[in-house]
Parts: sequence; structure tokens; C-alpha cells
Amino acid sequence: MLVEESIQSAISSIKNNGVRSFLTALAIIIGTAAVIAVIGIGSSAEKALEASIDDLGPRTLSIFPSQRKRGGVSSGFNPLVIKDAEALAKNTEHNWLVAPAMSGNRQVKFRNSNMNGEINGYLPVNFEVRGFDLGHGRLFTEKENLGRKRVIVLGSKVPGELKTSAKQILNKEILIAGTSYTVIGVLSEEGSTGWQNPDDDLYVPLLTAAQRIFGTDRLGWINVGISNDTNVDYVMMTIEQILRQKHDIGPGGENDFRINDWSQFSDLRRQATGIFTALIAGIAGISLIVGGIGVMNIMLVSVTERTREIGLRKALGATQKSIMMQFIIEAVLLCILGGLLGVFIGTLLLFIFTSLNDWIFYMPISAIIGSITFSALVGLFFGIWPAKRAAKLDPAVSLRYE
Amino acid sequence: MIIKTENLVKEYEAGSQTVKALSGIDLSVEKGEFISIMGPSGSGKTTLMNIIGCLDTPTRGTYHLNGKSVSDLSEDELANIRNKEIGFVFQSFHLLARNSALDNVMLPLRYAGSNKSEALIRSNEALDQVGLSDRSTHTPAELSGGQQQRVAIARALVNKPSILFADEPTGNLDSKTGEDVMNIFKELNSNGQTIILITHEDSIAKQSNRIITIMDGLIKSDIKD
Repeated sequence: MLVEESIQSAISSIKNNGVRSFLTALAIIIGTAAVIAVIGIGSSAEKALEASIDDLGPRTLSIFPSQRKRGGVSSGFNPLVIKDAEALAKNTEHNWLVAPAMSGNRQVKFRNSNMNGEINGYLPVNFEVRGFDLGHGRLFTEKENLGRKRVIVLGSKVPGELKTSAKQILNKEILIAGTSYTVIGVLSEEGSTGWQNPDDDLYVPLLTAAQRIFGTDRLGWINVGISNDTNVDYVMMTIEQILRQKHDIGPGGENDFRINDWSQFSDLRRQATGIFTALIAGIAGISLIVGGIGVMNIMLVSVTERTREIGLRKALGATQKSIMMQFIIEAVLLCILGGLLGVFIGTLLLFIFTSLNDWIFYMPISAIIGSITFSALVGLFFGIWPAKRAAKLDPAVSLRYE
Repeated sequence: MIIKTENLVKEYEAGSQTVKALSGIDLSVEKGEFISIMGPSGSGKTTLMNIIGCLDTPTRGTYHLNGKSVSDLSEDELANIRNKEIGFVFQSFHLLARNSALDNVMLPLRYAGSNKSEALIRSNEALDQVGLSDRSTHTPAELSGGQQQRVAIARALVNKPSILFADEPTGNLDSKTGEDVMNIFKELNSNGQTIILITHEDSIAKQSNRIITIMDGLIKSDIKD
């Protein structure tokens, strides 16, 4: 019943000094909002990363061309070519899906609308490796690839960029660098993966791209989809073997390509995001401590202002402990209220941020509970000293305090 | 015997000087007495009230309240005695401004650790005793001065204390409401409540049964009816 009275008294004191309470709690509010927003952005980034890893299919290795060194001197680029991909595809030992691709920006025109779009040369299998889903129409076939057909599949946002809709543009002709292509399909929305946005891209058969658009058999990269239970190291060795043979690299020679294991990459990225998030959250956390000093300051003022009340409560039988409890509850409550408001504002900021950037909105409950708990601890820590001062007041003197 | 003090001395350190507020008070109070303590300011009557009200402890001397020595108890033990044995009424009412009359009256019961339903019953009884049961939800700002002082009296009575202390209870009231408040005290006293009143008004003091005059920290006169 005493705790109940202490809480009531704390609430009415906070309410009665509304503006002052708000200003006092402001540092706590801003601090919590900053911590929450930063942790939320970090967590959302991680979610986006996870989603993008999922998008890559079960597990994907990527092969990129790289510089070869001979005797420490770089000897230029040795490109990956379509034949390399074919050599990899011939190997059936690992049941892998070989998805070579090339890309480049070209002017895209539909009726009177123009856009500069990234054109990707894909094999049908690439869609499977990337885990893309079809929204309208169909994907191109292996036969269309071999026939170098002028067919094209659009990312989900491309029709909008061309000021039309998926349904209207389907089976129509669009111009890429002056040549017309038939739109046979539109992908469903894939969402940004953080470093690329498949929704903005256009996809043509690889051989069509090689011959008609880019005029080269050089690949941008080769994705290799493997199932999760595959031994990655062994797969990487096999790839190395095949490509070294194709590129005629003798024993002791360095690779002229590199193989990325995306899951490794994402681990690194996750680590970096985590460290960065912790760092900024830590800096924001400092403002909570600064806020705590403000709370302590205003609690000292409150104790002085309420000296007569403290004297009266003591005259009526309040022990030192119950006076202390009253003021600590007030400080903690002020900080918790600040924390709650901060969580609300921080979550709102995160929501705005993720909406603007097309990210997944994700706020871990642990961050909310954690930051409110931290605010409460700040209130407890900085409330103790003022509360002690209140508890130690002499009842006879404080009753007559003017 | 409710109160028995022997050679109560209270000294304060004021800079390098030692000021004697009480220089040896021997006082006995029987149950049911209605006492006025008078004296000019600086005479030591407030110090005396603080000590026998257990708000302060004497430098020397002994003080027995209900047969129990209280002159060297810890602060929390004194808080407990104030809660159970002593009711205070102050000149400036000392009500919590944001709380209702009922909540103000209930406060001592909260510190006593009573359960809520019992506290509600007893607080309502106490308000009834001072004739304010219809004002229980009002805050002090919504009550007249006389009503506020009656709430304070109800609060002082709610724990059924051995002694009721009143420090200039009519000092902030006009004579008519002051008279009402005095009538409440007289009625409480006729029901056996021990009351100690501190006042500098002869007309108020005359309404009690015993007038003690303090001068320079000593009892100058002690006149019973």
C-alpha cells in the first residue's frame, strides 16, 4: 500500500511539473530514441542481408575475374568467358547449378518513355539460382538462348519506370540501344538486397546479350548454386581445378579469378554491422547517462522544494527507507516514461528510415526491453543520492522550512 | 502516566557557542489531560514539543513515553513511535496539496502498513469524527481553512494516538473557525484523548485544563484548574 502511494505521489509530482519533467526526461528520450533507432537500423540491415542470402538460393558461390600476377607484376585481366561456364556446367560431380551472367547499362525505350537500365544476360537457370519468382508472362527458355532470340524479362519496377504497367507492356516491343525486344515476362517484386536491386534490372538470354547487346563473350561473374549439405571447400577446389585448366595456369601460378562464398561474406558483413551498431548505440547510450545527471539535478531541486512535505511525512511516521523509496520511484518512473517515449520515437524513426529505403522493418524486442531497463537503471543510479538526501532530512527542521 | 521527563536538556551548537534551548525540564502528563504550553518565542516551547513529539532527541535527560524510554532511540524507531503514538496538528495544516482529504487522512496508515480496506474504513471514521465525511474526495484547495484543519485533525487521530499535539492550531484561522476547531479538541478530550496544545494566546490556553509556561528553557509556572 505504501508502494502504491509512492507511485501515485511520483505520478502526480511528474504530472504537476509537466514541462519540467519533460525537459528533464528529454535527454533520456533522445538517448533512448537514438539507441533504439540505431539498433533497429542495424538489425534491419542484418535482416535484409539474411533475406538477400536467402534470395541467393540455398548457397551460392560467385566467381569473379581477377588480376593475374607473374613474378609480382600484374599482367592485366584474364576474363571469364562463356566457355569457362560451359566447362563448369559439364562437371556433374557436385550437382551444381552454373549461372553465368554479364551486365551493362543501356538506354531502354518504350513508346515515349526512356530509362537507363541495367541489362543482364542470364541463362534460365540463373533465375533459379537467384530465387527470382515470375509475376507475369514467362521466363525465356534454353532454346531461345541458343537461338539468340530478342526476348526480355523485366524487373518488377521497370514497367513503372517506363510509365506503363506490367500487363500493358507484356508481349509489346521495347527498344534497347535501338533494337526491339519482346517483353515476355515481368518478375514479381524481389526487394532490394542492400547492394543490388533486381527490381530495377532487365534480363535477356545470355547469348543474346553476348552477341546482340554487349558484343563480347566476357562474363561479369559466374554464380554457382550448391545445396547446403555440399562440402564448400571441395566444391571450390573443383572450380579452381577446372578454371586453372581452362586458363592454362601451370603449377605455382596464381589464380586469375576469385571465388566468393557469400555466406562468408555475409558473416563478415554481419560482424561489421554488429560492431558499428554497438559503437553508435554506445555513443547514444552516453547521452542516457548525461540525461541521468539531469534527472539527479532535478530530483535535488524537487527534494529541496518538498522539504516541508518530507518533514510532514516523517512526522506521520515515514521511515528513512520509505522516503528514499518515494524519491527513487519518482526518478525511476521519470526515466521509464522517458524511455518509453524514446522507444516510440526511435521506432517511428526506424519505420520512416526503412520505408524510405525499402528495407525490412525489424525491431528486436530485446532492444526495447533492454533500453527501457537501462533507462530505469539510470533513474535508479542517479536517483539514489537525492533520495538519500531527502531521507536524511531532520523532521523537526524540515517541518519549519520556508 | 503517559509522559514523564526528567531534567531534559537540549543544546545546539551555533558556531563556537553552545545555545541551551532547554535547561532541565521535568514534566509529567497523565492520560486524558488537556494541556497548553505557553511562552514567548525563543523560550524553548517548540524544542520541547519536538522532543516530547519524538521529532528530536534531548542532549541530556530522560524521556519516558507510556513507560518506555525514548530518549535515545534511532531515527526509524522514533518514526515508528510518531506513527503509532503521536498525532500532530500544525498551524499551517501541512496537507498534501494534490491528494484528496481521504488520502491525506490515510497517509499515517500507509506508513503503519495497514491493509487498504481497513485503512479506508478507519480514515472515513476519522473524517466522520471531525464532521467532514461528505468532503472526503476534495483536495485541500477545495476546502476552507477550518475544513483543512479538521482534515489535519482527522489525520492526527486516524492511528488512535496516545497524545495529540497541536502547534498553534488556530493561528491561521479566524476567531470563529478557530473556536470550532477548539470545540473539536474539547470534545475529543472529553472522550479521553490526551491533548498538548502549543499557543501564545491566553484565550486559547484558558480552554485547557492545565497551563504550562516556559521561559528561558525552564518551566516557569504549571497551573492546573
